[in-house]
Amino acid sequence: MRRLALVGLIAGLAAGLGAQEPTEVTAPDPRSAVGAPSGRALSGSALDAESDRVAGLLRCPVCQGLSVADSPTGMAVKMRQQVHEMVGAGYDEEQILSYFERSYGEFVRLEPPLRGVNWLVWAGPVGGLLLGAFAIRRALRSRPGTVGSAGEPPSDAGEPLPGPDSLPADESLAAYVLSVRERAYGWPGGISPSRPDTLAPPRKAEGSAS
Amino acid sequence: MNRRVLIAGTALVVPLVAILLVGLGRDPHVVRSPLIGRAAPSFSLRPLGGGPPISLESLKGRAVALNFWATWCVPCVQEHEVLAGAARTWGAKAQFLGVVYEDQEDTALDYLRRKGSAYPSLFDEGGKAAIAYGVFGVPETFFISPEGRIVEKFVGPLTPSELSANLGKALEATP
Amino acid sequence: MIPVLGRSLVLLAVLVSVVGAMVGFAAGIRPSPAGRLWTRRFAYAFAAAMLLANAVMVYALLARDFSVSYVAQVGSRQVPDWVAVVSLWSSLEGSILFWGAILGVYVAAATRSLGDRHPEHMPYAVGVWLACGAFFSFLLAGPAHPFATMLQVPADGPGPNPLLQNHVLMIVHPPCLYLGFVGMTIPFGLASAALLAGQLGHDFLRTLRSWLLAPWVFLTMAIVLGGWWAYEVLGWGGYWAWDPVENASFLPWLTATAALHSALLVERKGVLKGWTVTLVQASFLLTILGTFMTRSGVFNSVHSFTQSAIGPTLLAFLATALLFSVALLATRIDRLSPDGQLEGARSRDGMFLLNNLVLVLFTFTVLLGTVFPLVVEALRGVQMSVGRPYFDRMSVPLGVALLLLMGVGPALPWGRATTAQLKNALLPPLAGAAVFSGIGLALGARNAWTLTTLAFGGYTAQVTLRELWLPLRQRLYHGGESLGKALVLTQRHGRRRIGGYVVHAGFVLIVIAIAVSSTMGVDKEVLLHAGESTELGPYRLTFVRADQVDEAHRTSLVARIEISRDGRAVGMLSPRMNHYHTQREPIGTPAVRTGFGHDLYLSIMNVDPATQTLGLHALLNPMVGWIWIATAIMAFGGVLALLPAHRRAEPARAPSQAPAAMALPQ
Repeated sequence: MRRLALVGLIAGLAAGLGAQEPTEVTAPDPRSAVGAPSGRALSGSALDAESDRVAGLLRCPVCQGLSVADSPTGMAVKMRQQVHEMVGAGYDEEQILSYFERSYGEFVRLEPPLRGVNWLVWAGPVGGLLLGAFAIRRALRSRPGTVGSAGEPPSDAGEPLPGPDSLPADESLAAYVLSVRERAYGWPGGISPSRPDTLAPPRKAEGSAS
Repeated sequence: MNRRVLIAGTALVVPLVAILLVGLGRDPHVVRSPLIGRAAPSFSLRPLGGGPPISLESLKGRAVALNFWATWCVPCVQEHEVLAGAARTWGAKAQFLGVVYEDQEDTALDYLRRKGSAYPSLFDEGGKAAIAYGVFGVPETFFISPEGRIVEKFVGPLTPSELSANLGKALEATP
Repeated sequence: MIPVLGRSLVLLAVLVSVVGAMVGFAAGIRPSPAGRLWTRRFAYAFAAAMLLANAVMVYALLARDFSVSYVAQVGSRQVPDWVAVVSLWSSLEGSILFWGAILGVYVAAATRSLGDRHPEHMPYAVGVWLACGAFFSFLLAGPAHPFATMLQVPADGPGPNPLLQNHVLMIVHPPCLYLGFVGMTIPFGLASAALLAGQLGHDFLRTLRSWLLAPWVFLTMAIVLGGWWAYEVLGWGGYWAWDPVENASFLPWLTATAALHSALLVERKGVLKGWTVTLVQASFLLTILGTFMTRSGVFNSVHSFTQSAIGPTLLAFLATALLFSVALLATRIDRLSPDGQLEGARSRDGMFLLNNLVLVLFTFTVLLGTVFPLVVEALRGVQMSVGRPYFDRMSVPLGVALLLLMGVGPALPWGRATTAQLKNALLPPLAGAAVFSGIGLALGARNAWTLTTLAFGGYTAQVTLRELWLPLRQRLYHGGESLGKALVLTQRHGRRRIGGYVVHAGFVLIVIAIAVSSTMGVDKEVLLHAGESTELGPYRLTFVRADQVDEAHRTSLVARIEISRDGRAVGMLSPRMNHYHTQREPIGTPAVRTGFGHDLYLSIMNVDPATQTLGLHALLNPMVGWIWIATAIMAFGGVLALLPAHRRAEPARAPSQAPAAMALPQ
């Protein structure tokens, strides 16, 4: 009895409100937020592929770091559906991303847009590449000096491979002989580091101590 | 002393530690809503238990407390009484609306039958309203001014005082 | 009683590590046999205290002694004993305790195996290890104490995080990760000792490299096991999401890999000593950074522990360690003077430098992307994300470059090469490139990056296999040995080198598998009623029914799905949705049918036994199984490379082994 009364009450509350303006059910419309669709309406497999791609750029808000395309949660499924509908209606990637961004904030974009200091995250690796390439160039240029970490003058720079065993004087031939030894014995560089009694010369006095 | 190593090391280490130090206080799970201060996304949704759809437009002139909730959400259960009580006291000045989030319609209706309800709860087909309002989880409550602007978003279960403070803010927001 | 015993052991660990660190440094500055002996004794004492403290905790967990705060927090009478043991590392305090145990094992093993071999270095190294030990035992004594006494002893506890109970890989993955992370402390101590002692000789370099390789092997396995766990448990069909915590484990792996390669240049040419030491230091520092990321609550991640009070303490330790390293490098790096010089760019040397550049750039990019949201929040006050699309875009070219370098480098001679030699070395492997990309094209690969990966992979595979084959052929055809003997002798005498190439072979396979699985999969989402079926690739999936299965600690909804391939029934898959009694939201367990070509991966989106409906996400993931196989190959290669180093670590080397090695081909 009481239950019935409550159901009546719930319906009554709703009726009281709805009576003012009987409208049809309309979900929030992206059009009011991001304008008319500016792309081409897609369908079929092109629609699926494009909505998968765009969903992969959106962060699932209820998960931790997964994209809407990847997450198995119910909310992500609904967001995928929303993306699917928007792609189908002809909204382009930027419109869809900014529609979600309006409500969830920049947080929702998995790929940082170029604004403010965000460019740093894109430029950083490029700068690092240039810097590293420059450092390597310098290191290789500084031959026949050394490229110790300090770039100081060499302490005992001289012949690349001092040692008792005869290696050809020609540098590239010597390298070749070493690579043959490497292949034959399986020691890196053809040099046995801990056995001074082999063909290859010991690298350093301490090396023979083991 | 190798100057270059010192400079390069310091240039890497100091900003890193500084950033981590600044980040230490933050809670990554709280994301501020960009909707605050903006027009509330309009909708017209079907209430649970039947009846014509309710639109946000039709509520202009009164403050609105829009509460996203679910039956599986424990804090929502705690909050239920607070909201129901407030809906009765604020009556004419403010309209309370619930929106069911990630839940079955009949489960939600059954829950309301057992717990009682002082205001309508809307069924959000396809989660579109939750998306438009940027809901991260439940409970989340949006306070909307009489002319339809979002004044505040509250995450977590409301206490009576927090509820009145936020509703007061929404009502005062009239320009 | 138990809490008191545990606390005493932790305090003992603090005491011996603090005193031991001081004794170590003193013995480093003023060398004496007695100083070294006592340093070692303190190292053993630290290990013993930590291991005993862990034993006490395991006992308390098994006995369900809820008077111990940590047991009250993660223990439960509902869970089986193996879960109780695994709970040791399931939550913050226990994981730090477990960290201490692993550190103890490493410190004791390194101290024992190195003995008095590097008298100038060892006291410093042990000193640094114990200083790190002091920090972690301090954490256990203060900010993260697991042995607090519960004033009101609860009758039962909540049990550990359900995600950890969900899969057996959770028993393997964390210990493996700790063995990788904690193990970096050892090379860090050794590298610091090289700087403090001002010398990095040949023998010590080998020691350093071996002790870097050991944790590297564990870290490699741990990273992939973590991915495997995510694949088997999280249910989204992938294994890597560039989550901050995943990145945290990847960063030290990258720098350690770079260090393992630059160490070869140090060994061969006597150059890049300071650089190598820097990379080793960075690897350790990145493990501490990773630990901070996982445990401070600053980063949003599936893997992170709940927000805790140890964030500031960890940051203080990280800052101290960073400053210590920078100061040490700045003041001492010049003492590590080079003994040789680099060859030009057209040599293996040049490729090693490029390898280091790519790996360090990779590290920098991943680190930048991971911490960048913090930077933006600090500067712009905006919360933003740097996620998978960014990391994919950045890491694919880097990974592909690495793959090519792995082929070009070993193909080139160590010295400078003439143009004819270059042609000789670099042109033949193009056949491998053509074969691999041809196979890819024939099987439907169209993505440009996938095809590039296949081509470079084929190139590198040919070079790698040739390098593995050549020494063997030498013995077979020129030495006249039998295949078995040739295999044994080749691997015995070139173990480190062969191990290296085996790792390379595994890496080629892993990169190809990643490229193929991430670009050539197909998936579909369907709603099925009982009896209905759907098609995916060669499979027909029929939803038979949904059952509810009740267990002590969870209730599961299981969907029974009958699988047939090309019309033949091949079995039943049962993805499930688990509701743990202690956890609100359900956790799915996907069902995976692993195959050589592809995996069939079924994951429940929603299931209702009342109406017998199922929302199913079905995926065909090509080549994923090869990632796990390739990792096993990499680990095998790493172990192979480690073996002789272990043998040499014994004080007395069997002299009888030497002659065989000397046998020269005629």
